[in-house]
Amino acid sequence: MKDLLRIVVSPVVWLASFSAVYALHGLVCQLDPGAPGLPGVSGSRITLIVAFVLAVLVQTGLLVLLSSSRFGADPGFTRSVSLMSGWVGLVATVWTLFPTLVTSPCGW
Amino acid sequence: MNALARHRRLTAIWSSEPGWKGWLSTVNHSDVGRMFIVTAAFYFLVGGLLAMLIRAQLATPHSAFAGPEIYSQIFTMHGTIMMFLFAIPMIEGLAIYLLPKMLGARDLAYPRLTAYGYWCYFFGGAMLLISLVFGIAPDGGWFMYPPLTGRIHSPGINTDFWLIGITFVEISAICAAVEFTVSILKYRAPGMTLGKMPVFAWYMLVVSLMILTGFPPLILGSILLELERAFGMPFFQVELGGDSLLWQHLFWLFGHPEVYIIFLPAAGMVSTILPVMASTTLLGYRWVVAAAVALAILSFGLWVHHMFTTGIPHMGLAFFSAASTLVAVPTAIQVFAWIGTMWKGTPRLRLPMLHILGFFVTFVIGGLTGVMVAVVPFDWQVHDTAFATAHLHYVLFGGFVFPVLAGIYYWLPLVTGNRRFFRLGEVAFALIFTGFHVTFLAMHWVGLMGQRRRISTYAPEDGWTVINLISSIGGFVLAFGLAVVLIEVVLNLVVRHPAPRNPWNSGTLEWAIPRPSAAYNFASLPRVSSREPLWDEPGLPARLARGEGYLGEAASGRRETLMVDSATGEPEQLVIYPANTRLPIALAAVTGLFFVSLLVKVYLITPIAIAAVAALGWRWAWQLGSKQDLGDRLIGHGVAVPTIAEVSRPPGWWGSMFLLVANATLFGSLLFGYAFLWTIAPGWPPPAFIAPSLPTLLAAAGGAVLAVAGLAIAGRSNQNGGTPVPGLWMAVAGALGLVAVFSMMLWAAPPATGHAYNATILVLGAYGLVHAALTSLMLIFLLARHRAGYMSQRRRGELAIVTVWSVYLFGVTGLVVPAVYLPGLVT
Amino acid sequence: MLIAFGAIFALVMMLLALAFRPAGTGPTWAAGEKLWIIGLGLVFPALILLCLLAYGLWIGERLVPRSGAEVMRIEAEARKWSWRFSYDHDARRSTENVLHIPAGRPVDIAITTADVIHSFWVPRLAGKLDAIPGHVNVLRIEADAPGTYAGVSAEFSGRGYDNHRFSVIAHEAEDWQRFLEGEQ
Repeated sequence: MKDLLRIVVSPVVWLASFSAVYALHGLVCQLDPGAPGLPGVSGSRITLIVAFVLAVLVQTGLLVLLSSSRFGADPGFTRSVSLMSGWVGLVATVWTLFPTLVTSPCGW
Repeated sequence: MNALARHRRLTAIWSSEPGWKGWLSTVNHSDVGRMFIVTAAFYFLVGGLLAMLIRAQLATPHSAFAGPEIYSQIFTMHGTIMMFLFAIPMIEGLAIYLLPKMLGARDLAYPRLTAYGYWCYFFGGAMLLISLVFGIAPDGGWFMYPPLTGRIHSPGINTDFWLIGITFVEISAICAAVEFTVSILKYRAPGMTLGKMPVFAWYMLVVSLMILTGFPPLILGSILLELERAFGMPFFQVELGGDSLLWQHLFWLFGHPEVYIIFLPAAGMVSTILPVMASTTLLGYRWVVAAAVALAILSFGLWVHHMFTTGIPHMGLAFFSAASTLVAVPTAIQVFAWIGTMWKGTPRLRLPMLHILGFFVTFVIGGLTGVMVAVVPFDWQVHDTAFATAHLHYVLFGGFVFPVLAGIYYWLPLVTGNRRFFRLGEVAFALIFTGFHVTFLAMHWVGLMGQRRRISTYAPEDGWTVINLISSIGGFVLAFGLAVVLIEVVLNLVVRHPAPRNPWNSGTLEWAIPRPSAAYNFASLPRVSSREPLWDEPGLPARLARGEGYLGEAASGRRETLMVDSATGEPEQLVIYPANTRLPIALAAVTGLFFVSLLVKVYLITPIAIAAVAALGWRWAWQLGSKQDLGDRLIGHGVAVPTIAEVSRPPGWWGSMFLLVANATLFGSLLFGYAFLWTIAPGWPPPAFIAPSLPTLLAAAGGAVLAVAGLAIAGRSNQNGGTPVPGLWMAVAGALGLVAVFSMMLWAAPPATGHAYNATILVLGAYGLVHAALTSLMLIFLLARHRAGYMSQRRRGELAIVTVWSVYLFGVTGLVVPAVYLPGLVT
Repeated sequence: MLIAFGAIFALVMMLLALAFRPAGTGPTWAAGEKLWIIGLGLVFPALILLCLLAYGLWIGERLVPRSGAEVMRIEAEARKWSWRFSYDHDARRSTENVLHIPAGRPVDIAITTADVIHSFWVPRLAGKLDAIPGHVNVLRIEADAPGTYAGVSAEFSGRGYDNHRFSVIAHEAEDWQRFLEGEQ
């Protein structure tokens, strides 16, 4: 069971953070799209970028844990598959949430 | 005991009753698997017939073949039957039949549940079939968008057939998913570690977990829409605080993973069959497993791409566009792993391989058009046109039907013991392949020319006439090819033409069982040390038949198999299965009575049906267990393990855990719906929030704590040789207290027809009430079991199972009570 | 896009066909995980998809309606099975099943519905956008040349769905002025 958890944890955390950022995006745009921020960057975008960076940090942490000898699986099949899925989580987080950096937050 | 005597003895223990009556009482996975496959094939015929009607209608402009009312029923039922009554049950049937044989076990984890799932499918499917025959079939499109499917715009019973019938059928999917998960994790041959499992088992494990988390949103959506239709609870009515977009989210939260739930088992078959056809092993097994896991989880992040045209802000679209392109990467990994496997080996053009090639051509095109529609601006043009329909047929027919045809031809000798006599299959393949591509390439084209999906007719001026005619002709060629396949399979069953034992020279365990397949699968259970045990030891089947594996003695005269540690594959427990029984069909029948009472709105019968379900469920659980301690039992090779009645994690514990995963997803979807309506629906906040009373809050907290603590005390005391009874009574008091709390909540709730908020409160309270009542019943069951002598210091498993449910009840209370009362406190 | 995808398809088919070459004639490196899985399975699609995604986002970003003084706003309300268009310069001015717009100027269509879900689609002017009860979705369209454009509802809505159509008339500047003054 622990092995199964190691294999799915990173992508599941991606799913959670992806949905959370999407929900946050909805909330931010609903409440106050023009919230004050830094010059040239709106408050809503800053919020979303912070969430993005947090999600990436969490994934990096997971990857470090999965490759550590303390929390990672024993060498062999499970270890290599769990490391692969760790990378899947990290890449998926960067790939699917980078629109926070480039697209306009609340426009249609 | 020689091999023949052992075969006779095991057959006596395992076989079902002779004649057609055997179908009603069998719980054997081979029987039920075949029943699933035959029924699903029947629905494939029905769905195919409807497809032919659609193509006949669209073959010419201004067609007077069917009016819009009938035509709506035809296309709705075509989609519904193919998705819910053909594809998913076909997967269930194939996996039910194959998994234990591949994993080296004698049956699945819960034989009676297998049969119950089948009968739910049988009765639920029959409901939909009846609606079709009487011309009152669902007609809102297979994704049933409200408000069109609400009671104002669809007042008839048609939509209710869909909502209630499909929910009924989905019980079988959930049952199968729980069963597969536990069977794959625990019911394997000794020595089979996670890394040595047949790759099909990995795919099915992934798919089962997807069903457990993908189907509940749709089940919830169906419940809510039916509540709206039957009782006027306005979840999807915008005037009263509902929002029709909630349905779209719930539907596609299910609907997108559903595509992969259908594709992944087929990919598992390709990964199994293709290396055998190329006389080699799968290239990059680890990568393929990781890709399947990644694909499964990524697919849950794509649901909004079915809603690109609903007016979602650009950044939201960008997230889902990005996720939709990303999901192509693990798919590509699998495709190239398969092609690499072919390069590694020496592929032979046998019939299954032909269908796999058909799969490659079709699925790659479907994948590429899929990437196209992931690009938002392109999707805005082709969404809801024939292009989208053609794309999904490329993915589903290419990604599912071709691999299943390959699988049918590959495993047919295993099922019938015969090989093909007439070479009809090659002709059939040519017809299917040509017919399919003619039909759906033409459909892509006409979609790009602007033909919308679901129109019943068009004008000659539209300029689509020739293309539609070509498409229809292709459709009939395809149908003819499929008919040839059917004829050949029937001939194979009838014409005796024995095949060798392992005709394809495969390495996996299903080819080690006696031929034609015996009800008990393995006369003794093998120990495996690689993914291809038959290549390591070609003499394995004979050795197993001589009883040289585990459990070769058949000493107890009961149906036995082994449970292993999920990671190492070492034997852990001895499973004793229940034998043939009509309980599953009876339970499915009363479950059906419950659904029919809702369908025809005779609510007097509903409580009777619920009571009958509870009574039969009680009997179900009572049949298991033993009144004496059996101690550790020898299973062969000097190994002794306890029986499932005498461990702390019996099969029921594992099943409960995974059933609760599905249940928690349903609950999570409900909370999501609540939050969604609150933030997105225009009619919020509601006129008034309900305010809590302090006694209610205290009673809820006390009840929840008591229910968990009582069981903990009971468990501790039982472990120390004392009596669990006082602790159990304590837990009963707690759970009954919660029944009272949730009943009060429902009693005090404002009228549910007034606002979606009120309706949501009602559903939350009812969810809590159901769980409190269920846990109370389980606790009372434990008291009765203890009294009857089924519990001891060693026989402690049932305590562990109920503990899981009462902890869940604790969690539910801890979320429902704040969700209901917190808004009233804050505002 | 079509050419690139045709090339990918041809590549995959070629690799498939070459797998059937006589045994033992391929180079040994051709059977490794590195080439097939990492090279062709991972890196190759990732590069293509990243380009595609960037392209899609860039086009999408350009389609995002920006506010401007020039933009005219028209309300479109769908019902079973017709469309009513109201013009914001005059609250009483509305047309049934015919949408009048000025040519060569961006127009925002505010789309909603009086009953079930419909979808506003004028294939030659823009992609489709749904009309959802209780929500207003805004679609920016612009007709480069005057003329009549066909429009349909693209979301199944029951019996009358086949003929749930409308048309868009794009007027030249003078024509448009006359329409605004109520002469049409």
